[in-house]
Order: sequence, then C-alpha cells, then structure tokens
Amino acid sequence: MRWFFLILAIAVVATAVALGPRGEKFSDPPFELFNDMDRQYKQRPQKSSNIFDDGKGARKPVAGTVPIGFKFPHAGNEKDLASDLDFSAGDDFYNTGLFGDFYGKGYPKNLTIDEEFLARGKERYQITCTPCHGESGNGQGVVSKYWAIPPSANLIDPRVKAMPEGQLYWTITHGKGLMGPYNGVVSVRDRWAIVAYVRALQAAAE
Amino acid sequence: MGNIFPRWTNLLAVKIFLCLGALGTCVIAVAWYSWTPKYTRVGYMPQQPIPFDHSLHAGQLGMDCRYCHSFVENSAHSNIPTAQVCWNCHGPGKVKSDSPKLEPLRVAMDENYEGYTGEPIRWVQLHKTPDYAYFDHSVHVNRGVSCVKCHGKVNEMPVVFHHEPLSMSWCLDCHRNPEKALRPVDEVTNLDWEPTDLDPDSFYEYLAGKTDKTAEELKEADQGKEWDQELIGAHLQQAWNVNPPQDCAACHR
Repeated sequence: MRWFFLILAIAVVATAVALGPRGEKFSDPPFELFNDMDRQYKQRPQKSSNIFDDGKGARKPVAGTVPIGFKFPHAGNEKDLASDLDFSAGDDFYNTGLFGDFYGKGYPKNLTIDEEFLARGKERYQITCTPCHGESGNGQGVVSKYWAIPPSANLIDPRVKAMPEGQLYWTITHGKGLMGPYNGVVSVRDRWAIVAYVRALQAAAE
Repeated sequence: MGNIFPRWTNLLAVKIFLCLGALGTCVIAVAWYSWTPKYTRVGYMPQQPIPFDHSLHAGQLGMDCRYCHSFVENSAHSNIPTAQVCWNCHGPGKVKSDSPKLEPLRVAMDENYEGYTGEPIRWVQLHKTPDYAYFDHSVHVNRGVSCVKCHGKVNEMPVVFHHEPLSMSWCLDCHRNPEKALRPVDEVTNLDWEPTDLDPDSFYEYLAGKTDKTAEELKEADQGKEWDQELIGAHLQQAWNVNPPQDCAACHR
C-alpha cells in the first residue's frame, strides 16, 4: 500500500507537470475528447468546401440572380440601413456616382441628408478612412507617421472640394492611385454617407 | 479446521477500497481541472499563414476593429477580411509591400508575382462555437457587448490567442447578469474603455431621454452608489430593455 501511494503521488505530479496550468499558450489544435456534431457537414461562413473543384465554400452568385437575404436595389428599400447591405451594382447615379460617362453632382434623390445620415458617415469615415486621410481629412493619417509612402489625398483641399459628389463616391468605390477599392467593404448607402461627411469636414475646415 | 484466509487478508478489502478511492479522486481531480474549455481552449494560439500583429494594427495604429471585420455589425459571422482589404494598405508601393511575411498575400493578390495563384489566404480559425450553437455577433455588438468581453484585449496581443473559455456556462454567466457586459454602443470597439471614461452627466441625460424621469431624478436615485460597470450596465439594460434569452432555443435550433 505504501508503494501504491508513492506511485500514485509520482503519477499525479507527472500528470500535473505534463498537463500544465490552465491558460498556457499552445499552437496545436485544441484537444477534443467527444467532438460529436461540433463540426457538421454543412457550409459555415468563410469555410472551404469539398463539393466544388476550387475548394471555395463562398460562391459567386449566378449571373442575373440575387442571393437570398439580399434585395434588388430600387425596390423601395433605398432607406434600409446596415441589415440590408446592398452591394449589387445598378447602373444609375445612386450605385455608380455617374450620369452616363460623367460624374454626377449632388446626392441621389432617395437619400435625405440629415443629422443621422451625417453621424453614420462620421462613424464609417472614422473606421475606414482615418488610417490614411486622418481624422480631420487633412491626409495626415497614422500611416503617414510611420511609413514613407506617397501621401494620401488631403480631403479638405480646394482640389477635392471642387470635385462633384459623384466623383468622391466613385473614388471610394473604385479607388484611385494607391488607394484601393472599398466597394466590398463599405455599402452603397454608407459610401454616400461618407461623401456627405467629407463635405462636412471641408465646410468645417474653412 | 484452520482459517481458510490468512490473517493479512483481514484488511485487504479496506486497503483496496482506500487505494481505489484515492485513484478515483485523483482521476476526477485531473479531469475536473483539465477537461474543460478553460484548459483545452484558453491559450490556443495557432500560427497564422501571415503573422498578423493585432497589437500593431489595432493597438499602435489605433485602427478600428471594423476596418477589417467589416460586417460584424450586420452579420452573425464576424468576417475575416478578404485579401483585398489587406491589399488596400499592403499592395505594391504601399506599406511594407515587399515584406517576406506577406508572401501568402502576394500569392492571393499580386498578378505580377511569380507564385500568383489567386488562392485565398487560409487563416486558421481560433474561436469556434460548435456547429450546433448559433452565436450571432451583430446582436451583441449592436447592444453594447464589447469585443473585449469574449476576445480579450486583442489590441495588446502580438499573436491572438483564445482568451475566454467560450463554454456554455460561460455564455450563461453573462446572459444571467447582462449588466456586467453592457456599455454604450459607440464604445464597443474601444477595447480599453473603462466605466470611468463615461461622463455621468451626459449619461444621465441620455437615460432621461429613454425614460419618463429627468436626469436629476435618476442621478438622485443613484446617490452613494459606486460609478462602475454594474451601475452603467444595469441602467443600459433597463433603457434598452435587454432580456438575454436563457432557454435552449436561444442558441440551439
């Protein structure tokens, strides 16, 4: 019996040392004793798939269709916020910032530029634009403090001020120079909100 | 007739009982301590294809969580950014574009790169709810539950690791006492926010707009109470009518 307890004590100490305390950092996938149904044969967001040849779970919509949960633009849903992301591209001013081949001036008629809209624009601007263009729009974002890359546009400059709203919208959508396109990250309505907020920054700078 | 069993067997049953008892206790103790997400998942720090540094981007540069995780407010799933989002800053001629660490990004995005395949970057998933639990990010961040509550101070992590157990009982702890988590919605992505950062006057002003009491009355009622998370959370819970479900169907369909 003495031997048993000695061996048990050694075993307990050895196990404790081998397991280590809670919260230790490790890089192997976590241990799972029973993983029943934790991983089911269904498609989760941003996961790969072995059904399709290219292994991608996320599929592009078939041409001419709209995914479930999305809406056609201009079906009376122009006022919808966040929850109805509209990334679908129509060819009108609201979706492109263009009239034919020309940048449009002013805002699309379905938008009301009010305090709420500007607040939304401010929030989105501070998330998406400040790293490069800076909080006040002067082009001195945090990136310019650390890296010697060509400067970002000064948004409160007369040059940008003279641009029509459609051109600002177009630039957010497609990028310009070193700036990448933000059409996949910022929804159509939010892009217009940012345009309105940039106008507010320009007015404030005067 | 002599004894069938020798004398030493008298205590054998007791000894076996003691030994098995001790063994069982040890096994249970070890399982208790280590067979829980607090042990198996907390601290999980996988190596990512690109050693993305959150403490640099979200901490030092002060970028908002939603620059990359852009749909967390709209979607149940908080998205990992597409390679295009990385490319917006790390494309040719931009920040650190020639760093060898960004090789998987060039493979995905740079059509002039010799190894270009267009294959997406295979980030390793760290936080995983089981497939039978339907967690919704949007409903939490839109009701003032901060990222930091479940993910820890990611803005101080050079390499992100699993900070909370994310077990069911851990979820329920918060669903039973939501006042411990609620904060003003515009501070949700501010991971360093403290209750003391909130200005009491404007807060009571805001609450007064949500109830039929005036700001002064609300302030009066809170005289002598400590200005802390529980107080703010309890007010917000009432103002927003937050009733976190505790039934099974809340998370399991």
